[in-house]
Amino acid sequence: MRNILAVAVGGLLGTGLRLVFDLAFPHADHEFPLETLLVNLVGAFALGWLAGGLWRRPSTPAWLKAGVGSGVLGSFTTLSAVMASLVVLEREGAHLTAALYLVVSVLAGLAAAAAGLWLGSRIGRRRMPDTITDSGETL
Amino acid sequence: MTALSPLVIATVLVAGSLGAVIRYLLSRRFPVRPGHLPGGILIVNVVGSAVAGVVIGLAERAAVSADWRLILVTGFCGGLTTFSTWSVETIELLDGGRWRAALLNVFVTLVLGFAAAGAGYLLAR
Repeated sequence: MRNILAVAVGGLLGTGLRLVFDLAFPHADHEFPLETLLVNLVGAFALGWLAGGLWRRPSTPAWLKAGVGSGVLGSFTTLSAVMASLVVLEREGAHLTAALYLVVSVLAGLAAAAAGLWLGSRIGRRRMPDTITDSGETL
Repeated sequence: MTALSPLVIATVLVAGSLGAVIRYLLSRRFPVRPGHLPGGILIVNVVGSAVAGVVIGLAERAAVSADWRLILVTGFCGGLTTFSTWSVETIELLDGGRWRAALLNVFVTLVLGFAAAGAGYLLAR
């Protein structure tokens, strides 16, 4: 139940953040949907970074993963907006823009997720000292 | 575009939150298993794309207002579907050497998602 509540609160935040991007970078029907691309790249990188690092630590609580991963980042990013934009671009006859948008979204999105996972796992592997033997200068 | 009322913005956020909870419950019900596609995420992404297509089609012939389009497409469908989980799960499949499952996850999601959005739009407009 706590996990579901965390997802609901995270979903409010993620949707709100995406709405801010939508209103800040509006686009006409025939134009490249830059705001959705930005949102998806940032979200894929952030989730990769967390999944590669913090999520792998046994001490990370389940509600935090649910609230931030499924809630905030899951609802911040969107696949339906990509598909809807492709349909609208095709209707407008902007085939080249549609093709470019699809290819860039998929390739850059996967690259962002991979970069996030790689960076996250580097940080996740760094071990913290169990006991501090000096006055704390090593930290 | 007219200024958005606080009520519409609040409804968009609640609709997005509801979509996120449905996605979470389905992803728990149909989790990622070895040898299977990430089922729950595929289902919500295809269903959300279909609903978005239908609402955009309805909005085009003024059967749905601009406010409701924002609530349903940006709010509910945006919250229900996800790009981040889809891309991270694809890379994790690749990372585990399961490149065929990764390619399948990309193509099945894109083909079904686009077909669902296109069919929904064409049927509703």
